[in-house]
Amino acid sequence: MSQASPIPVTVLTGYLGAGKTTLLNRILTEDHGKRYAVIVNEFGEIGIDNDLVVGADEEVFEMNNGCVCCTVRGDLIRVLSGLMKRKGGFDAIVVETTGLADPAPVAQTFFMDDEVKARTKLDSVTTVVDARHVTERIADSREAREQIAFADQIILNKTDLVSEAELEAVEARLRKLNPLAPIHRAQRSNVPLETVLGRGAFDLERIVDLQPEFLNPAHGEPGHVHDEHCGHDHHDHDHGHDHGHGGHAHEGAEDIRGISLSTERPIDGARFTRWIDKLLAEQGPDILRAKGIIDVAGEDKRLVFQAVHMILEGELQREWKPGEKRWSRAVFIGRNLDEAALREGFEACAA
Amino acid sequence: MEFHAHVTAVLFGPSGHAAFALGDGTARFETGEVVQAHPDAAVLAAAPHPSGHGVITGGDDGRLVWSRAAEPPVELAAVAGGWIDAVATSAESGLIAFASGKRVEALDARDPLFRRAFPHERSVAGLAFDPKGRKLACATYGGATVWFARIADQKPQRFNWAGSHIGVAWSPDARFLITAMQENMLHGWRVADAKDMRMSGYAAKPRSIAFLSGGRLMATSGAEGAVVWPFRGANGPMGEQAAEVGHLEGTLVTCVAATPNGARLAAGTNAGRVWFADVDGNRLAEVRAEGAAVSALAITPDGRRLAWGDEDGNADVVDL
Repeated sequence: MSQASPIPVTVLTGYLGAGKTTLLNRILTEDHGKRYAVIVNEFGEIGIDNDLVVGADEEVFEMNNGCVCCTVRGDLIRVLSGLMKRKGGFDAIVVETTGLADPAPVAQTFFMDDEVKARTKLDSVTTVVDARHVTERIADSREAREQIAFADQIILNKTDLVSEAELEAVEARLRKLNPLAPIHRAQRSNVPLETVLGRGAFDLERIVDLQPEFLNPAHGEPGHVHDEHCGHDHHDHDHGHDHGHGGHAHEGAEDIRGISLSTERPIDGARFTRWIDKLLAEQGPDILRAKGIIDVAGEDKRLVFQAVHMILEGELQREWKPGEKRWSRAVFIGRNLDEAALREGFEACAA
Repeated sequence: MEFHAHVTAVLFGPSGHAAFALGDGTARFETGEVVQAHPDAAVLAAAPHPSGHGVITGGDDGRLVWSRAAEPPVELAAVAGGWIDAVATSAESGLIAFASGKRVEALDARDPLFRRAFPHERSVAGLAFDPKGRKLACATYGGATVWFARIADQKPQRFNWAGSHIGVAWSPDARFLITAMQENMLHGWRVADAKDMRMSGYAAKPRSIAFLSGGRLMATSGAEGAVVWPFRGANGPMGEQAAEVGHLEGTLVTCVAATPNGARLAAGTNAGRVWFADVDGNRLAEVRAEGAAVSALAITPDGRRLAWGDEDGNADVVDL
């Protein structure tokens, strides 16, 4: 049986004018010697020799009798299946979504459809935001908030159009929505190719660390998420406000944010599994992304998991190294998350 | 044969010779001819020309092309910026249909001026003419539509069932319409009263459907063996149990082919196994043991010749 390795797929999100097409053109024109297929929703000024640009219709539908978390992109399933027939194949596939698209159905397609899953793998969801306008977009557009919260990395574009102080405020705002995604500053989408392609963001093997330093802006900064590393009681704090820039961003009841949990006590594996299964079953529609590394009591290997809404993937990964600090950490990004309840539930999994 | 490109389809012509349509855009004939039907593109779907001569292919270049062994290719239609990923033809009526996204069109092999368009709200993933070639069934999201293929302005007959329908077939007596679904099941309707039938329990999408034994049996892909449903009486497979032929654990049947009036059934799997069996006996013979996933399979109506192709471009024609 032929076992060609799955083709990595990068999903590019971002509202209109943020710089997606510029980034796409950069990817395609760079002298990389690779063959890419690009799936776009409308044909713009792209189309480079040796690469294939395919139009798609963003046809979203619900599998399994209307379960929201089983929403997939039917057009993608068809286009990917067609691409697999092409002689020579592709080194990577890039999917560009429309400015208003919800990234979840795109991502879920790669977990829900067996044929797509067998031939391709979701590499990362990258979002492009425009430093000058993103704060407004976050305030007025649910789609913009969700795209940022869902992303594995954020290209903060057009940084030359704002001051350093404004940039820091914008970054703090982005981190609050998404403490996991690295932010790459860019002008005219000039990021190195390797910051966008070949990220392995959904690859459990690659979730090697979730660094609180990296997760967290410094203590006192607006995007800071408290955990026990701050060395103080976090339950008394109110994290609902955003002071980083002129005026509050009004988020309303549907506040999206990231919550970081950790504990140094070993976790009871069975209890943790029950907890996260129940959590995702009940709050899956509100949980956009989750990632974690768990120190399971009595287990030499690290338990690593990632989730997109209700779709959970977890496995025992490499062994804890001798001398390595064994601890558990998890990050949940979602709407209406009750931090105290999450923390309590997580800590109750201790063995 | 080694074609070094994904075998999208294989078909037998009336002469009993096989034609292959490939991921490198070519149509290749068993007799050795190669036609560059879709230069620098891939064939996504294929069907025999209504005349019996050559194949009609749809490509990711948006073109519908007729290829014959010793002739230059003929472009029948083109869709700017789209893909043609479903094609159906009818020898009985001489009609040709293709789908590109939400657009479905019908052509007449004998009348170059004839053209009909059947608009859909969602993409159409599968097409099938009824046995007389007058009605065209289209698999789409939320069910199937059925159109009189020669009539210009009409409202289609709709067969509704929630979900994404990715392939369609008629029973040989045209009494039942069957669709393959995204959710690893088949759906069916009794055409007369649109009564629903569900055929579930599949491990994968049952894309490939073939009727045999004069329409009394329907075989499908999507499980560890070929799944065979009885179609007898007024209720078709309703209330009946399916049988599995050629079951091999850990593999999935990807393609089935059968003799419409005989009892011979052939199947190919994702592990490259190709076999045929006579469902009225116990004999099952292996044509190939293993290899790349079988992506195309055909058998002649008399059951004497079998052709297969796989995802890596290996292919063969076998006298049984």
